[in-house]
Amino acid sequence: MRLSGEYLFDGPREKVWELVRDPKVLTSAIPGAQSMDQVSENEYEGKMEVRVGPVAGVFSGRLVVSDEVPPESYALSVQGRGVIGFARGSGRIQLIDRGDDTTLMKYEGELQIGGKLAGVGQRLMDSASKSIVRQGLESMNAALQAPATGEEGKGNAPV
Amino acid sequence: MAEKYVGQRIKRNEDPRLLTGRALFVDDVELHGMLHAAFLRSDYAHARLVSVDVSAARNRPGVVAVYTAEDLGDLWKPGPLLVPAPHSVENVVFHQRTQVPLAKDKVRYVGEAIAVVFAESRYIAEDALADIWVDYEPLEPVVDMERALDADAPLIHEDLDSNLCAHLAQEKGDYQAAREQADLIVSRRFLVDRGAAGAMENRGVVADWDEKAQHLTVWDTTQAPIPIRNGLAGMLGLSAHQVRVVAPFVGGGFGPKIMMFLSEEVLVPWGSMQFKRPVKWIEDRQENFLATTQERGQVHDAEMALTSDGRILGVRDVFIHDTGAYDPYGMTIPLNTQSHAMGAYDVPNYYTEVKVAFTNKMIVTPVRGAGRPQGIFVAERLLDIAAKELGIDRVGIRRRNLIPPEKFPYNHEIIDQAFAPLVLDSGNYRLALDQAVKRIGYEEFIKDEQPRLRAEGKRVGLGIVVFIETTGIGPYEGARITVETSGKISVATGVGTQGQGHFTSFAQIVADQLGVDVRDVHLVTGDTAEFHWGTGTFASRGAVVAANAIHAAAVAVRAKTLKLASKVLETPEEELELRDGEVRVADIPRQSIGLGELAVLANPLRGAVEPGTEPGLEATDYFGPQYGATANGAQAMIVEVDPETMMIEIKRHVVVEDCGTVLNPLIVEGQVHGGVALGIGNSYYEKLVYDENGQLLNASLADYLIPSATEVPRMEVGHEVTPSPLNPLGSKGAGEAGAIPVPALFAQAIEDALADYDLEVLETPLSPNRLFELLQGKEKAE
Repeated sequence: MRLSGEYLFDGPREKVWELVRDPKVLTSAIPGAQSMDQVSENEYEGKMEVRVGPVAGVFSGRLVVSDEVPPESYALSVQGRGVIGFARGSGRIQLIDRGDDTTLMKYEGELQIGGKLAGVGQRLMDSASKSIVRQGLESMNAALQAPATGEEGKGNAPV
Repeated sequence: MAEKYVGQRIKRNEDPRLLTGRALFVDDVELHGMLHAAFLRSDYAHARLVSVDVSAARNRPGVVAVYTAEDLGDLWKPGPLLVPAPHSVENVVFHQRTQVPLAKDKVRYVGEAIAVVFAESRYIAEDALADIWVDYEPLEPVVDMERALDADAPLIHEDLDSNLCAHLAQEKGDYQAAREQADLIVSRRFLVDRGAAGAMENRGVVADWDEKAQHLTVWDTTQAPIPIRNGLAGMLGLSAHQVRVVAPFVGGGFGPKIMMFLSEEVLVPWGSMQFKRPVKWIEDRQENFLATTQERGQVHDAEMALTSDGRILGVRDVFIHDTGAYDPYGMTIPLNTQSHAMGAYDVPNYYTEVKVAFTNKMIVTPVRGAGRPQGIFVAERLLDIAAKELGIDRVGIRRRNLIPPEKFPYNHEIIDQAFAPLVLDSGNYRLALDQAVKRIGYEEFIKDEQPRLRAEGKRVGLGIVVFIETTGIGPYEGARITVETSGKISVATGVGTQGQGHFTSFAQIVADQLGVDVRDVHLVTGDTAEFHWGTGTFASRGAVVAANAIHAAAVAVRAKTLKLASKVLETPEEELELRDGEVRVADIPRQSIGLGELAVLANPLRGAVEPGTEPGLEATDYFGPQYGATANGAQAMIVEVDPETMMIEIKRHVVVEDCGTVLNPLIVEGQVHGGVALGIGNSYYEKLVYDENGQLLNASLADYLIPSATEVPRMEVGHEVTPSPLNPLGSKGAGEAGAIPVPALFAQAIEDALADYDLEVLETPLSPNRLFELLQGKEKAE
């Protein structure tokens, strides 16, 4: 499954960069994310509750950041698994300074899923993953406006 | 009873119990202290198992045990080969790689069992599955059957040098020579994709080991309880007499419940012996998609050579059959395909070659139709295309090529699924076609109705196809029939029952022989404690093989009854008749004795039984056919396609069936209805969609569409009767006939409905989406 899109942040590129590279912010912004711990400079481990149609369960996974060009771009790969199956993916994120204190994020990636998530959730997976991404980005954009604890942006809506 | 029961449309003896919820199914078995099993199944289609950590699962309260392959000791070995390869055919290649109880070292399809949990409840057992940590090393999956046979494809079984499971070529006559004589050669590539059996009741096993009695009872949704009893006894180190397998009422078999020895069927009884407690496992619907075998899945490169007047000179069919990750059922399906790719036709020259490929998908074993729909699809499609190219009417080209009645028995000179020569025993194939033509109103439709509807802008098409169904193969079945002292009759046979109406059609045979009310014949099927010998319910063989065994036993009991009655009534046997539950002197109805009284006299408490006689009015007999009986038929449908949505509506559906002697038309028609419903699924709705990683993408009934009452039309069913000379009743099987020709029928009808497009349907199942795709870029002929 391919995931790609754009999102416009209401903030300068450096601040957006800090945000997207901050595990605490990511934990609070990504719907269902329960924890995210940095295990090495570019590696994170975390847990996330995934709910796709009738399939729900906790995924534990690892996120690796590579090819980092601050504050412009980085590549990431994720691997997660749980009772409901597994997901593996890789992608690239690019931040473009629009020069007016806004930042355009472009992202693209490939996601492979397996197990119950694929067998039962496939039909809803496309819209579910888009919805997770959109909600996550909106929460981060909100955090950009009120960069305190990030708690406000926490979303856990079923998708 | 003056009138015979056989042939009567009587209501089913079993229905009051079934319809009021008083019939025993496996999940109804509740035993004290029962444990529940759950299976951890692979999320990957192809991966190495680096490690499986079950320690956390074992510590969960309520969990009794968790086992992986390493814990199974001697039990861990590949399952039995259920059907061997046909080694009588020259140059046959077959690599036996049967499934294992739990995966060791690597997994080969999504859903393959890796570990089993035994716990106090199913809830706890399933929760414990989440505690198990499997370290997989993903391998490149091999999903496409053609890709599987590439030289550089990853190996599914690494001890083989390729993913070739089997190879078999058969020839009749000389196809190449026939081709050189031909005026027309049509060649096409056909794809028949996978579907599920979709039984209403999923699989289930309850096992109860009685330590004190040293006896194992297994309730199993199997179609073949006796082979399961024999196999389990061997695997568990027991005598066959220590194992009783009961197949109670089963909510649909359709093939995948035959005699599989898949993980659950072996590990649940084994677990019961470990813990000396009953164990239950009931498959849920999602497991059914991932853990129950499937069928279809073939690619054919086929051609037909014909004369300019539409006579078939020969057929050549080279195809790949996808067997999935393992091959426990041998080559039954491709052999059936080979037996049916000549259709119902007089084909003098035939070359057929199959390569069977291992893939990283669910194991393929027979599902209602079992290779036959693929063969009929190839034969009927080629003939349709030839008819178009030659400008011959499609009914006309079929009439021209049907095997004529005087040519039976007709030897096709290849071997069939029973490894016997493919000899079609009897038939008058033209009668079924003629009746279908008449019932659907072929001429009128083509001449008047279709042009009129087309003028109204409706896309309405007609399909009409013919088919054969090889049925009723051996080796044998048996039955024991007893006249009880109540005067009622008990019948025991080894086959299991999954809704076929055995309690009625078999009872009709017995009632006719013994002159009793059909409701006084009590049948037991599928309980190994009641009957020791037999094979099972598959290959449309119940009404042929088991029914004739029952007939033979009933004839023997009748003879015993008459002999004893003759003595008691002091009247020669020829002057006696069996009616209304008694034996009477034909001319003096008052001089009679009830069957119950005779049964008492046959089992005396004092005196001596004469040497050479047996006590009781009881007989056991067997029947094994010389070779399989072949049924035939024709189906016709009128279908309307909505050009906007590509949804279809079946306006009419006609089935004409010749299954020899009809034991009970109501039951045969029920079989036809069910078969056609599956055929409709196989044609337009039911397709198992695997992605390039071997993940099944529609593993739920929300996404996998089984036709419902709104998609399945009312059918008009007609009969022709050409009794089989191979058995005393003259019966042929009918269980799979409904399903077999429907994909071919659909393809023709849809092409006809969309005649203004240059469309050739070369694949099945279609779907609205797929039909839409196929029509893109097709120019309208107008």
